[in-house]
This record gives sequence, structure tokens and C-alpha cells, in this order.
Amino acid sequence: MSTTDLDPTEFVQSGRRLFIDTNIFMDNRSRWSGGLKRLFERTAATIVEQKNPIVVPTKVVRELEKYAGKHSSRVAEEQVEAVRRSRVALTFLEDAEARGLVRTDLGDDSARYADDSFLKVVEWAGGRYEMCVITDDITLQLRIRLRSAQLARRLTAGTLTSDGLVAIDDDQVLYGRGARKLDAKQQKVDDGTATFADRQDVEELTALLPEFQATFSLKPWTKQAPRAASTSGGPPPRRASAPQPEHAFSANSPLREPDQLLPQTALPGEGDEVQVDSARNHSRVTLGKLLGEGGEGRVYEVLGQPNRVIKVLDAEHRTEHRQAKIKLLTSRPLIAKGIGFPVATISNTDGAFVGYSMPRASGKELQATVMRPARFRATYPDWTKGDLVDVCISFLEKVSYLHSLNILLGDINPKNLMVNANKDVWIIDADSWQLEGYPCPVGTPMFTAPTMNGEYADRLRTPEEELFAVAVMLFMILITGQHPYNRAGTDGDITRLIEEKIFPYQLGERKGADQPEGQWKYMWSHLHPRVKTMFWHTFHGDGDRYDKRPTADDWLRIFQEYKRYLTSPENFDPQSDDVYPTRLKAMAPDTPIYACAQCGASMIGRWQKDKGTYWTPKLCDDCRQNQSKCSECGKHKPAESLKDGRCWECNRKLNYAACSNCGKETPKKYLIDGRCSNCQLVACKDCGTLTAKTALTYGRCADCVKKAAELDPTRLCIDCRQPFITRDHVGWFQSKYLDVPRSHTAIKQSCPPRPATAQATARPPRAATPASTTPVAEKSLWTRLADWFKS
Amino acid sequence: MALKIGADDLVENPTPRVPVSLCIDTSGSMLGDKIRELIDGVNLFYDAVDEDDDAHDAAEVSIVEFNSEATLIQDYASIERLERIEAIDPSGLTFLGEGVNLALDTLEKRKSVYSGSGVLYYQPWLVLMTDGQPNGSPAELERAIQRVTELVAAKKLTVFPIGIGGDADMAVLARFSPNRPPLRLQGLKFKEFFEWLSKSVSRVSRSTPGDTVKLDLEGLAGWAEL
Repeated sequence: MSTTDLDPTEFVQSGRRLFIDTNIFMDNRSRWSGGLKRLFERTAATIVEQKNPIVVPTKVVRELEKYAGKHSSRVAEEQVEAVRRSRVALTFLEDAEARGLVRTDLGDDSARYADDSFLKVVEWAGGRYEMCVITDDITLQLRIRLRSAQLARRLTAGTLTSDGLVAIDDDQVLYGRGARKLDAKQQKVDDGTATFADRQDVEELTALLPEFQATFSLKPWTKQAPRAASTSGGPPPRRASAPQPEHAFSANSPLREPDQLLPQTALPGEGDEVQVDSARNHSRVTLGKLLGEGGEGRVYEVLGQPNRVIKVLDAEHRTEHRQAKIKLLTSRPLIAKGIGFPVATISNTDGAFVGYSMPRASGKELQATVMRPARFRATYPDWTKGDLVDVCISFLEKVSYLHSLNILLGDINPKNLMVNANKDVWIIDADSWQLEGYPCPVGTPMFTAPTMNGEYADRLRTPEEELFAVAVMLFMILITGQHPYNRAGTDGDITRLIEEKIFPYQLGERKGADQPEGQWKYMWSHLHPRVKTMFWHTFHGDGDRYDKRPTADDWLRIFQEYKRYLTSPENFDPQSDDVYPTRLKAMAPDTPIYACAQCGASMIGRWQKDKGTYWTPKLCDDCRQNQSKCSECGKHKPAESLKDGRCWECNRKLNYAACSNCGKETPKKYLIDGRCSNCQLVACKDCGTLTAKTALTYGRCADCVKKAAELDPTRLCIDCRQPFITRDHVGWFQSKYLDVPRSHTAIKQSCPPRPATAQATARPPRAATPASTTPVAEKSLWTRLADWFKS
Repeated sequence: MALKIGADDLVENPTPRVPVSLCIDTSGSMLGDKIRELIDGVNLFYDAVDEDDDAHDAAEVSIVEFNSEATLIQDYASIERLERIEAIDPSGLTFLGEGVNLALDTLEKRKSVYSGSGVLYYQPWLVLMTDGQPNGSPAELERAIQRVTELVAAKKLTVFPIGIGGDADMAVLARFSPNRPPLRLQGLKFKEFFEWLSKSVSRVSRSTPGDTVKLDLEGLAGWAEL
């Protein structure tokens, strides 16, 4: 047996310790569901009896709390399930601790990870206790196993079974698991999809595994069935690491002399006889029907050879370079399904080179199928995302083979690729390939790397530049014709968009912006996470792979994983296999997916971070908007905002008008004769003139107010013979039927001073205004009184 | 839901567009055979674009007519949405400058729609056809010439000035196209011209935006007096 199941009860006996790691609580593998419950059922009685609870170190609790969002407000899509699990775990732990089954007070939380915390405990107490750590972490298991051997103590670590037992791998198996983990993480590092933790794992395992192997004298681990040619132990050199296949061309030929047109000659057409020359065969055949006319020549059937076609280059493309390339290619027996390798050179009856023969490709140009949604739906109505992934894989296999031969396709574009109903891709236009220092003289701006400056014929393409085109092609196959750099709000100059390195789609926390209108963002949303990650890093100027683009083999691995994923139970959203999904991808397996109650459109619940639940409105956005609209302006508005069937703006327009006097917006019902209540005309109570209400003061118009405040010239003070009382004041006495006073003194005023008789004026103030002098008098009286007391 | 999105072919079709603006003279002098042949030619152009896979997905056509005023008789639309022209009654003067300005305004609007939706497009084409002398506002004519030449210089417009018959003012047409001389239609070979135009549109739509597309200059011989 390579794996032993151990009864955990053994480790809750006295003198022993049983630990549980964070990942056991967070594990969502169904095969172990219920394992924790069984573990506690098995051990509960012994724990209580021995008073030896299972140890869940403080650091583990902290980690769970972190997941649960207690110390972090950020919850990304993928973490929803983790949040739920960690909350369940915390509740469970609280409960178990209350019953004395668990203690969480051991270990400090200074360690960066719980793993470190376990190692500390093992170091510190390994000499005193026998210990068992339940963990899914292979690295931690390896470390503890190694430590156990070094200390010669019984320190074990294993995973939890669904039965509540601890599964302990033997040394060789554990070592193998560790090696596979290293391999997988290394792969991620190579792909550029590694996280910080992945890089740490690689570092740790690289050091740990040899020590482990030496300590237990294990067989070195050899990788079985490598998934691709380029990985075999340790970080491989990028590219060209695969053994070069037979017939490969030279990898580092310098650029050849500039190309020259061949001397003019007669170009054969339908019905003409031509000379066929290959390494083994020299014969004559007759050109059949013209099949098509491309930018560089015409393609004909060959009479009597249904599987062959002949491309006759036109006068401007019959060049020395093309002739040399065709000769090189036909000199080697290169045959591969789906690649239009030239089979023989073709000469006219004068013996002049005019073109080449090649296998007949099947299918239609990608340009006329996958790249045009309307035509694509018409041509392959039943295709799913999986079928497009197959097309990508078929394309990549051919590109990978050509690259292994040191051939670059050069002008990769959807007119040079054909695809048939079996999803087989054909690569054609061999005469423009780049090999042995002969450049590919043509190019297509949409697929041209920003490092090239457009003059295709004057330099050799680098593999990086070719891989740019490969990545763009893969994106345009999966997203059916949309270019990765196309975005809204530009002037559509694709060369500049490529140079700007702005990739408009979102990847996790990295928000996108200006995605083109339409279904494209939904298509992006449903792509496999690894594919999205790789696209993002390849296309975005800030991406890890922008300057070292993934090779055809790198992509092949990812697309094979994508293919597997689509048909596996992990693919939880039924729309992910649709070529044209109608909504974003569901966030997690437990995200509700349901139909709009009105139109039946597929909908997903929206995660509400603050509430920790999904929001599932009955109607989709469109239906909710269409449901209610303003009867006046016809704009879609939420039902609750409508009043009398009209929106706020329309109601306002309808019910309000400006006051013709002050211009104030006023409800129409308060307007009288077009004026608001403030601007209504009222008769002045004195003169009777109609006056705006706001211009009245105590019912008087401005003129009358002024007049009332003036002294009545007809009444003179009997003392000083001067006017002394205002009209207003007179009116007041009269309204009360009182006698109108007749002097300043009578209205508590003093007569104005008369310059001639100063003394006479000095007296009346004292008599007339006793109030104003009182405080002074009082004070002096008080002072005098005080003096009196003192004396 | 999917249908709702699909209904708008502008956003559903990722094919880069070739906007073609036809700016045509429908003044009184076009009456008779000229206008009849012109309309037949335009409809033939529509048919040819419709039949060509690449042009079908890429071309968007608009038509501005000018006489004593300028009128947009067809806003930019894909071939499936274009309405065939049945008849035009030519009358009035030749407000060429006003016509070109309206065509350019319409083009600017379309370009901003492309930009807003994220649709790629090729260098737009302006086909300008007249059989007489411009007699609208001189200021408008100068403004039109300036706008066109600036766009051509910035490689944001390809212009084809075409003179119809012996009275067309080739000197004014030449001012619209400093690089390539204007062409005079042989007799009433509208049909040949529009055939050539549709082939050129197909040629462009088979390339990708940014490519320098060589026009079929040999094909010009079929309809133009060089």
C-alpha cells in the first residue's frame, strides 16, 4: 500500500497532539465532504476523556477570518465560495471550542502563513509530543516528514478522508506528489500566470525535494507522458527547446539580398500544359478550372488529380525569392495534413518557373466564416465554443510544426487560413513564408506587431513578431472577428491602436474600458480563466508576457485545458459553451442562474458584497426599463418615479409656469392672472393704487410709506412752533379716536435746539427725557448711598 | 435578448467598414438620359456590392444630391438597408460647395458613430459627380475645397471628382483633388464607372484597414477619358 489511513483518535491521547490546517476547512472537494464531521465524531469521546482538544492554531483562525472578510472588505468573484466556507468553519470552531473539542489559543499569529506556524510548533514541541497535522498542503507534509526523520520522532502529516481518517502517503508517493506540484507551479511561472505564492512554492520545493529524496533514498521522479515538448525538469530555455525535427531549415540565416522579378514569360491558364518537377517526379499536367484569384496569383485545378492544385504566380509576384523558397520546400519530403506544403515546382512549356503545386485545401477562408458573425451563424449554425477551441488547436498544431521546422508563416491573416466543417484548419500561401533568410514580403496591419515598421520585405520577422500574429488570430477566432485592440472612442487607425497597447477587456481586478459595443464583452467574460489571463498578459502593455509572447506550444497547452474544462463538471455556467453568450458569466457555481420573468432571457444573480447574498431581480434590465415609460416624453423610467404616468421632468413642465412678474417657477394652480402669490396686485390702503404684494409695506405702496414717514407740516409744536409729528403718528392717534398731541413734549420728544437761547434748550431735555438720564442718576444715587453708609 | 443585440448590425458585425459617399449633381442640366443612366448606375453599384462577399459586409453608402440646395437622400447604411432609388427629378442650379459640405458633415457624423461603438473603418471615399459649373455660394465652395484637400492630405479621405459631359468645370473639380486629376466620363458610361467603383470597394474591403490599396487604374480606361 502506498497510502495508509490512520485513525486520528490515536493523536488525541495524552502526550500527543492533533492539528488541523486552514485548507482542510476551505477544501471544497466533494470526496471529502463530511470528513470533518466524521473526524470529530470519531475523536470526541477521547478528547473529552483525555482533555486533549484538537489544535487549530490561532494563525489558522486568523486566516479563516481573513477569508470570511472580517478583516478585509474586498471580495473578488472567485472568493464568494471561500467566504461562505470560512464563515461556516468559524461558526463550527466556535461551537467546538465551547464544547472543549478544539483549542484555538496555540501558536501566535506572527507567522506570515499558517504553514510557518505549524513548522514552528513542530520545531518547538516536536521533541515532547507525537504530532499529527491534517493538511492538504504537499509542501507542509514534505517538511514535516523530513523533520520527523531528522528528529527521529513520530511526526506525521496527511490529508483528511471522507471517513474522517488521516490518509498518510508513503515517502515515494509523497515525493512524487511534491514533484508534480513543482512541475505544475513551474508551468504557471513559465506561462506568466503565476501568483506570488506560486513563485514561493517553486522556490521552496526546488530546495526541499532533493533533500527529501536524499533523506529517504528515493527513486528520482521522472515525468510521465510530458504534455508538450518543452518542459522537462527545471525551467527550460524558451522556444526551440524541442528536438528539431528532421528536415528543419536553418534557424539563423541572415537576410538575403533584395528580391528581384524574374524575366517575363508567358503565364499558363486554364487548359494549358505545364511541367511538374519534384525530387522524385518529373511530368506534365494540364491546368483545370480556375479556382480562385488571390493577391499573388491564380489557383487552378489539375486535370486528373483531384487532390492537387497549382498556384500560378502573377507577373509582379514571380520573383527570385519565391522561386528559391519553393525549391527549398519541395526539396524535402514535408507532408502534414492541413499545411499547404509545396509539392513540386511548376514551369511553363518554355521551362520558366511560374508557380508550384500543393495539396488541395478543404474548407473556406476564415475571413468568410468565423470572422463574420452573420456568415458564421449561417455556415456553422451548430458550432459551440468548444468547436472554436478545436479550430484554435488545429491552427496551433500546424503553426507549432512549422515553427519547429524554423519556418515562420509571416503573413498570418484570415485569408491565408481555411477551415472546414470538421474544424480542420489549412494553412496556405507557402510562397510568402519566411525561411532560410528569405523574408515574408507581405503583411497585414491587423496582425502586425508594433515592433515592425511596415516594410515587410526589407527585414526578417522575429519569432516574437510572428507570435503576436498568432495571439491576435486566436483571439479573433474565439471572439469571431473582433480585434483585441479595437475599442470605442478612437479614430479606427488599427496600427496606432496596436502601438497604444491598450487591451480593453477586464481581468479580475484589472478593469477594462471602452470595449466595443455589442456582445463582445460577454464573449470575453465566458472565456476560460487561463485563456483570459494569457490574452491579457500578452496584449496589455503592462502584461507579463507582452515582451515574451507565448509560443504555439504554450497556447496549445492552455487550449487543451480549455477543451477539457468545457466538457467537465467544473464548467458550471451553461452559456460558457455558447459562441454568443447573452450575458456575463456567473460568478461562482452557486450563483443563481434563472430566466427573466417577462422575456425569458438568461440572468445571473448579482453578488452584493455588503449583504453577502445574491440579488436576483425578477426582470432583466431591458424589461424593467421597458415596463414603465413616461406617457408624455416616452422615456423609460422606473415605475416608482412616475406620477400620473409622467416622469418628474414632464410633470414639472406640465404643472409649473413662470410668474409673469418675477419669473419664479410656480405651480400653475397658485398663479393668478399669470402671477405668483407674491406678485399679486393689491390696493394700497392709503392711496388705493394697485401694487404688487412684495412692494407693499404694511399695506402701503412705497410712495405712501415715504409720505407717512414725513412730518405733517400743518401741525406745529405749541412750544417751538415747528412741525413735530409724522403723518403716520397722527393717523395712529386718530384711528384710536384720541386727541392728536400738540407738542414735542407730549410725544416724548424735545423741541429742536434753538441756537439763540441755549439755556432754554438745556432744560427741556432733562424734563422730556427722564428715562435716558435715569441710569446715571441711579448710579450716582447708589454711590451716594454707599458713601453714606461708609461715613 | 440575443436578437435584440443582433438587430443592430453596426455592433454585431466586426468587419471594418468602407464608407462611400456619393455626392451627385441633380441640377436642371442633368435632366433626361444623364439622370436616368446615373440612377441605373447607382442601382447597379448596389447589386454588385451585394453580390461580393467582402464588399457586402464592409460597404456603407450615403448619397447627397445638390441642385439649388443640398439634400441628404440616403444616410450611411449597409447594403441590406439601402433603398433602391427609383427616380430623381433634376431641377435648379448647381450648389456644388453646399453639396460637398453636407456630404462631409454626414461623413463626420458617421465616423463618430463608428468611434463611439468601436467599429473599425477604412479611409472613406467621396465620389463627386457634376455636369456643370458650381453656382452656389462662393464661400461655401471654397470651404468645401479646403475641407476636402485637408482630409486628403491627412489621408483621411479618398476623393474621385468625375465630370459628366463637355460642360463640366474640370478646373474646379481639379481643385478638389490636388494629387490625382479629375476624370471625365466617356459619354454616359455610368454603368462602367459604377462597375469599376464596386470592384474597387471589394478590393479595399478584402484588404485590412491601414493597407495601402492600389486602385485599378487600368480599369479606369473602360469609362474615363484620361
